[in-house]
This record gives sequence, structure tokens and C-alpha cells, in this order.
Amino acid sequence: MSIIPQIILNSLIAGSIYSLVALGFNLIYGTTKFFNLSHGAVAVIGGYVAFYFTKSLGFGIIISAILGIFAAGFLGYFLDRFVFRKLRQKKASNMVFLISSLGLMIALQAVTALLFTSNFQIFSSQFTSYQIFGGVITQVEVIIFISAALISVGLFLLLKKTRWGRTVRAISDDEEVSKIVGIDTNKVISQVFFIGSAIAGLSGVLSGLDIGLEPTMGLLLLFKGVIAAVIGGVGNVYGGVLGAFLLAFVENFGIWGVSAEWKDVISFGLLIIFLLFRPQGILKK
Amino acid sequence: MSTIKIKNLYKHFDGIKAVDHLNLSFESGKITGLIGPNGSGKSTLINLLTGVVPFDSGVVIISETTKLLRVKPYDMASFDITRTFQDVRLFEQMPVIDNILVVLTKRGIVGSLFEQHKKYHLEKAKEVLERVGLWEKRNELAADLSYGQRKLLEIARALAMNADIYFFDEPFAGLFPEIIKVVSSILKELRDKGKTVVLVEHNMELIRELSDYCIVMDSGELLAEGKPNDVLSQKAVIEAYLGE
Amino acid sequence: MEYLIHLAIVISIYSILGLSLNLIVGYTGLLSMTQAAFYGIGAYATAIAMTSYGMNFFLAVVIGILLSALSALAIGYVLSRFDGDYFTLGSFGFNVIITAILVNWRGFTGGATGIPAIARPSLFGFTFSGNLSFLVLVLVSAVIIYFICQFIVRSSFGRVLKAIREDEKAIQVFGYNTKYYKLAIFAIGAMMASVAGAFYASYLSYISPAQFDINESAFILSIVVFGGLANNKGAIWGAAFLILLPEALQFVGFPSGIAEQLRQVVYGLALVFLMLYRPQGLVGEYKI
Repeated sequence: MSIIPQIILNSLIAGSIYSLVALGFNLIYGTTKFFNLSHGAVAVIGGYVAFYFTKSLGFGIIISAILGIFAAGFLGYFLDRFVFRKLRQKKASNMVFLISSLGLMIALQAVTALLFTSNFQIFSSQFTSYQIFGGVITQVEVIIFISAALISVGLFLLLKKTRWGRTVRAISDDEEVSKIVGIDTNKVISQVFFIGSAIAGLSGVLSGLDIGLEPTMGLLLLFKGVIAAVIGGVGNVYGGVLGAFLLAFVENFGIWGVSAEWKDVISFGLLIIFLLFRPQGILKK
Repeated sequence: MSTIKIKNLYKHFDGIKAVDHLNLSFESGKITGLIGPNGSGKSTLINLLTGVVPFDSGVVIISETTKLLRVKPYDMASFDITRTFQDVRLFEQMPVIDNILVVLTKRGIVGSLFEQHKKYHLEKAKEVLERVGLWEKRNELAADLSYGQRKLLEIARALAMNADIYFFDEPFAGLFPEIIKVVSSILKELRDKGKTVVLVEHNMELIRELSDYCIVMDSGELLAEGKPNDVLSQKAVIEAYLGE
Repeated sequence: MEYLIHLAIVISIYSILGLSLNLIVGYTGLLSMTQAAFYGIGAYATAIAMTSYGMNFFLAVVIGILLSALSALAIGYVLSRFDGDYFTLGSFGFNVIITAILVNWRGFTGGATGIPAIARPSLFGFTFSGNLSFLVLVLVSAVIIYFICQFIVRSSFGRVLKAIREDEKAIQVFGYNTKYYKLAIFAIGAMMASVAGAFYASYLSYISPAQFDINESAFILSIVVFGGLANNKGAIWGAAFLILLPEALQFVGFPSGIAEQLRQVVYGLALVFLMLYRPQGLVGEYKI
């Protein structure tokens, strides 16, 4: 009895989650060019907000999810507006941005733990499962896969076909020139933060529904997304998706032989390998 | 004294031939002016010859004896080559004196940890800083100096290396006349000591006044060479500048 | 009084950690997020050497130092291929890998449950079982390490490190093979961190992998940024401040679990404020 189909399904699900994180991260990184360590915490907060609305206030799952996504979006927007924008104005170095985002991540994580305890929380438990190709997949996991596909396509269309998308790409290419041409870069970047963080919030909500929530899971989630982005080519939105699935498959097939606890070693090992031999990623920008 | 010669030197970036199979030599005991319109490859050439950027192919020959097919950044100092940077690269959050001492002290890890010749290095630092008039400012941070003082500090740092071959990349840019005099006299002193001095400059007056020999580059290639007045009156050279 | 001694011991241990990372981040400009890994290697080397092999504490410390130096050279060698943000990212990765190894190599390290019953140091028949004597031991070590750090940063070697921080390419042009310098200071910092780990293991008598993960690396980095980069005294102030903070909060009435989270909120936000308004930290000499 082969478990390969199950591994493939697990890879697709994990890849979808990582894609969402990578998409949000890449979108923001494209315009700000620094590793925002708080991105993962924002994702998790999205999940917790949804959890709060559904578990404590009894709202429907879908409404709670949407509220979670928006909460994450707004949080990201505020972080940019009140912290990162000021740092941009001071022309701060990358180290400063990184440390600031680290501080934000630590604070956000702790606030989450204060509000919801450090314990592992699960949303409502009854989700239907389906049997596909010899493996089992839950309802939530199907939604995860579909969401990743929709957001990928949606973001692609947004960036390639709309005026706003062109503006974002201009800022990605050269922020200074964009300003000269008259683009209000700060406003657009805050909007990018909103959308990127909302996507992160979606990944947090879905991750929470699928596995559960824990205040400290944001960092690892972020790193999976970052590894996916590096593999695929940092800043390249579609590269992140490619990298995400590659990472997921290598992880899940990799632990087939060894115990599951080596999963993180495999992910980070893959990161190191790519940083050493192909730091620009698979797809060029 | 050292000379530096290049044969067929080639460097490309993203499809642009920054230095295109260049052949030339810089002689000792002379100030060679290296000129050309923007984008002609002058700064790239200096970066190649000081190990800042690796070259794709060609040979660099030092003093007729050392043939180099590749250069690493830290090697060039051992061939007695040093430089100043067009965009002034000082060690900003370190005091003026440290900017000089750091190029004087021992290069090895263990050696520098247990540095022996502190007094000697201090004397050499005083020497070069007094030459550029910055000794009084020795404890100020490099970042706090005025523009002119920063350019002088760069030159002092190069002098401290006591090299044989000096590349000065636009050392006069934006300087007041008094400081221009100081820098000019430093370059002439080096030349009179028999050093190989290469000067990249856009100010044609200074080129005419200072250089013994002139090399003109355009689009990564050698356009003309010869005595400054001859070269600067050549039609092709004038057109290259006008067309830029 | 016992409580004050306890605090002093913890502050001393974290001072050593802060001093060690400051050499790497503050003086050389390498934003390393893997210091906890070397802290852990020192702790585990000591624990295993003492519990499984019955070694003397001081001998175990030496083994820990050697092990962390070797790991640092290996890790540092790989990391030296990376620039800027990628260096930090890669260092993060190595911390995760080392923590995972500590968790998974169950036979050797005791896995996720860790290693218990680590003894106090003993020398020539005298055991440092009383906290006061242990404090003296740690304090003396911290002071020695402080003076070693001062010696390093005041030497010509230290000057080169700062130049690397300011403009690595430029200092290379003047004849320095910066890769070796970075490796050297990375290893030196790792060795110091492992000494802190040895003391930690012996003091707490119990260690587990979770104490040496990336959150711990983040905390050590916070100490350095807080106290001020490129100032050895700053590392000590930073350690004192961040260790005493939750104690102060508990004093004011917050229960211990909450105090821990509150501490993180405070120092997380403090990091942000520092970056916005005082990038040189409390007493630092280097503005990021």
C-alpha cells in the first residue's frame, strides 16, 4: 500500500501554504528590499483574530476568516505607516530595518501569547475529509490549495494588468526614479503592505484551521516562505510559488526515510545549498 | 620602480563591454592622465587594476616580471599598488587617525592582535596627516569631516601605503583652489620620487598642467595617447567629449 | 539575598554572551543570529562530558570551547559566502539546524527532554555548590572575558574589524584578506559563548534544546543592540537591563508567566524605538 499519493497531497498542501507566505513576502520585499521578520507574526495574528471571532464570539467561520485577513492587512499597513516609513525617510540601513522588524516580531508574538496564552489552540474540529487518488485530504486543505491558486493568479493579474500593478513594479525596479516621475511611493508601499499582509493573514487563518495556532509559529512559517522565495528567486512573485512547491516536496519526501523531526533541517539545508550555489534563485527577476 | 602594463584586458557587464581588449602601459616617474568621456571605462579600468572587480580575460603585467591572469582585492596591495576612490570610501565611524593606522599596521591576524610597532606607526601616520594638514583633526570621526578634508584623508591613506603605483580617481573633484594646490604638489612629489602615478580627471586644465603623458579612453577602448597638448587637440578626442 | 545572587549569576552569564556577540555584530558588522547555537554547544558539551564521562567541569569547558570553535569555523566558512541579509538568513538557518540536531540525536543529547543532573564545578576537592561561590567563579570569568574583549578591540586587529564593518571592499584593497578576520572573530565569539553555556548548564543543572533556539539568539542580539553596539560595557549594561526587567515587572505585581511575555513586549518595542530614535543603544559607539 503506497503512501506516495498521501505524500504528494501533503506536499501540495504545504506548498500552497508556503506559496501564500512567499507571495505576500515577495510582494512586500519587491518594494522595500529588506527581510521583514514581522511578516510571520502578522500572519499568525490574522489566524488568531479569526479564531477569536469564531471561538469566543461565535461568528461563522467564513466571516471570521475574512475579519482575520483584514486585521492582518491593517496591522501590516500600520506597521509600515508608523515604523518602516519613518525608517525609509531616515534612509536607514538594512540592518536597522531587520532589527526593527525583529523587535516588532518579538513584541507581536508576546502580545499574542498574552492575549491567547502560549498553548496550542485548535479551531472547531469537524471538517469533512475526502479521498483522492489514494490519499486523504480535508475540506480545509482543499480550500488551501484553491486559495493559493486563486491568489497566485489574482496577484499576477493585479501586477501585470492594472495601473496600480505597474506602479508597484516601477517602485520595485527603482524607488528613486519612481519618486521623480511623481509616484507617491509611500502611499503605494503602504498599500502593498496591506495586501501582502492580508495574504499573510490568509495563510495564518488557513494554517490555523488546518493544523492549529500557537503564538511562536509565525517565525517558522515566515522562514518557510522566505526559503521558498530564495529558491524561486527573491522578489519574483511567481518564483516564490515555484520555490514553495519545490520546498514542500523536498521536505515531505525527504522525511519519508527519516523521522519527521528532521523536516526543518531539510528545509534549512536546502536554503543553505541554494544560497551557496544559486543565490539568485531558479527564476530570474 | 614599478610599471604596470595591460594586454588585451577585457571586462563586460550585462552585455556592455566596459573594457574592450585594452592594451596600454603606465610608466614610472611620470604622471599619466587617464581621460575620456563618462562611461568610457576609466573607473572600471582602475577597479580592475586594483582588484576591486575581477576581469574576464587578459593579462596584467607588473614591472615586466609579474604576470597576473586574475587578481584578488587584497593581492594588489602586495604588488605595491594603491588608490583613492572617486566616491570617497573612508571608514566613517572611525577617527581620522585610525583611518590611517589601519593601513599601516600588520596584515596578519596574530600579528595584528599583538602589534609591536605602535610608536613607529604613529609616527608614519603623523607624517602623512601633516602632509595633508589633518593632524589636528586626528581624533575626529571621518564622517564629521568636510568634503575637502575627506578627499585629503583619502589621499593621506594612499600615501601611508608607501606604494609604487598610485591610482587617483578624480581626486580634485569639488575642491577649493588652496586644496587643489596641496594635492597637486603631492602628486608631483610622488612623480619626482619615481613613482607611477595615474590620474583620472575631468578638469582639463589640471590634466594639461600635471600630466606628463595622456591616455584617452572611449567606450572601453584606447582612443589616443601622447603628450597632453597633442592629445587634447586631436579631432577624435574632442568629438568623443562633445558627443557624450 | 539568595535571590540577588541568583540574579547576579544570570546577569554575569548573559554579560558573557553579550560581550561575545558584540565582537561579531558591533565591531565587525556581521548580523549573526546563531549565537545561541554556540551557547548550546558549550552547554551540551559540558553536560555530556560531566554526566556521561565523569569529566571535571573545567576540562569539560575546554572541550566545549574546542567544539564551538570548530563549529564556528565550519559555519562561518559557509556564511562567509553570503552578504548582508543573506548572512543573517543563513545564520538563522544554522541555529535551526543545530537545535534540530540537539533534539534528534537522542542517543547522545537526550533529545527534547534534555540532560538532567549536571553537577557544579569542583576543583582540588572544593565544589562550587553554594551559589555565592558559583557567583564568584562566573564573575571572575566574566571579568576575564571582558578584559580579553577590551584587548581585542583596542588592538590593531580590532581596528581592522571596525574597518571591515565600515567598508569591507575598501579595506580589502589595502591588503587585508577579510575572510580570515571574519572567521577568526566568529570563532572567538563562539568560544566565549560556549563558556557562558558551560556555566549555565552547571548552574541550572538541567538543559534542553529549547533553551538554545533562535528565540534565544534573538534575545542575545537584543542585549547587544540595547546596550549599544561596539561598546563592551554596553553589552554588560544591556544584559543587566534585560534580565532585571521582568524581575522589576514581577516586583510590581505581574505573575511570572505574564512577566516573561511582558518583558518581550517591552524589549521588542524598545528595539523598534532604538532603531527609530537612538540606533547607538544605551551607551554604544556605533550607530547602525
